Amino acid sequence: MIISILRRMAWALVLLALQVLVLDQIHPWGWGAPLLCPLIVVTLPLGTSRSEALLWGFGLGFVADIFAGTAGIGSAAMTLIALLQPPLLEFMAPRDSEEELRPSFSVMGRWNYLRFMALLFLVHHVVYFALEGFSCFRIDDIAISMGVSYAASMLIAIVVETVRNPKK
Amino acid sequence: MSDFIERITAYIHWALFLLLEALSGFLLFQYNHYQGSVWFTQANSVAAQVHEWEAYVLSYLRMPTENAALTQRNIMLQYNNDVLRHELADLRADSSFTQQAQTRILSGMTLIPARVVDNSVRQKDNMLVINVGSNDGVQPEMGVVSGTGVVGIVSQVTPHYALVMSVLNSHSSISCRLRGTEYFGYMKWKGGRTLRASMDEVPRHARIKKGDVVETSGFSSVFPPGIFLGKVAEIHNSSDGMAYELEILLSTDIANIRHVNVINNHNKEELDSLLAQ
Repeated sequence: MIISILRRMAWALVLLALQVLVLDQIHPWGWGAPLLCPLIVVTLPLGTSRSEALLWGFGLGFVADIFAGTAGIGSAAMTLIALLQPPLLEFMAPRDSEEELRPSFSVMGRWNYLRFMALLFLVHHVVYFALEGFSCFRIDDIAISMGVSYAASMLIAIVVETVRNPKK
Repeated sequence: MSDFIERITAYIHWALFLLLEALSGFLLFQYNHYQGSVWFTQANSVAAQVHEWEAYVLSYLRMPTENAALTQRNIMLQYNNDVLRHELADLRADSSFTQQAQTRILSGMTLIPARVVDNSVRQKDNMLVINVGSNDGVQPEMGVVSGTGVVGIVSQVTPHYALVMSVLNSHSSISCRLRGTEYFGYMKWKGGRTLRASMDEVPRHARIKKGDVVETSGFSSVFPPGIFLGKVAEIHNSSDGMAYELEILLSTDIANIRHVNVINNHNKEELDSLLAQ
């Protein structure tokens, strides 16, 4: 149990470092930066209680906000997807899954996991960019930023997940 | 009990979610200048809108009181206007002792505000009932006016109510004159349209045109001079051809009247005796 939590924290630290040190500096064509933090919530194992998921989501979002100077934005978006992740995983996970299934391409299937990841990333990005823009007057700018960031985030997340869990 | 605790814990994540989102919202608006200013501005706009609605509703609730006050104010202004007009005329030319005395005596007038509780306009002899009576100082033969002009004359009183003979009554006859002239006559209602009455006995040499203002003459103790009655709408010859008969467009819509004032002239007897001279 403790080892599992420590491993998850180490994984979170790696992704946070990647986010803060590298991805926050990248702005494709001047639009929104890729956001990889949701991947930590996406990969919470099956059986994680909702309260625990919420605390993970808020905590990670809070830390990411401190480094990005976006107080409250990341934590609000991460908390929301942390609320959605457990029931969505239960719904999309294979029926005969082991109790502590960790979502990945290998255990959920490529398309199934991609859909699962894409959905949570989408919710996260919509909330994140809506709160960051916080205006209806430049909604087209906000939508483009969100779209670019979403595409870049998904691409990087797929690469990270493929490297981390090569298909057997 | 344990079942109850289980149920609570089963939904505790919702409370935690709301708490964490509220905390995020606090951080968002507290530490981001742009979002904070937008929130502050929007919150103020919402509060201002709510206060505007509140004021709008309250203004409706206060309307009866304000209407009564405005009506009273309007009548006083009409009266003051007439007094000033006469004072101006006195300064321009010598005025008779009677006119000066009349103005002085009418300064002892007070108004008793009242509300119309019953009204009729479809009969030949229409009457109104108002919610003040002898206990309020109302007596028969007192004039009743609204903010737009003359309404009628008190006919009978009970301790709490008074019956008013409306100007829309075939027995009503109100002494009136054309503003700016000394041509006077009597305004009567001959039935039919509720916004039309007639003024008789206007001499043929009088220069009259449509739109001339008709007001009370003050030649009685019932109404002070200068209270608006209406405007000349049509000019006809009288039946004997010796005078004009004017059709007057009444300024007061009796069918749509709520607040009135009864004129209490403290110097009624003195004025009556003076006018009788």
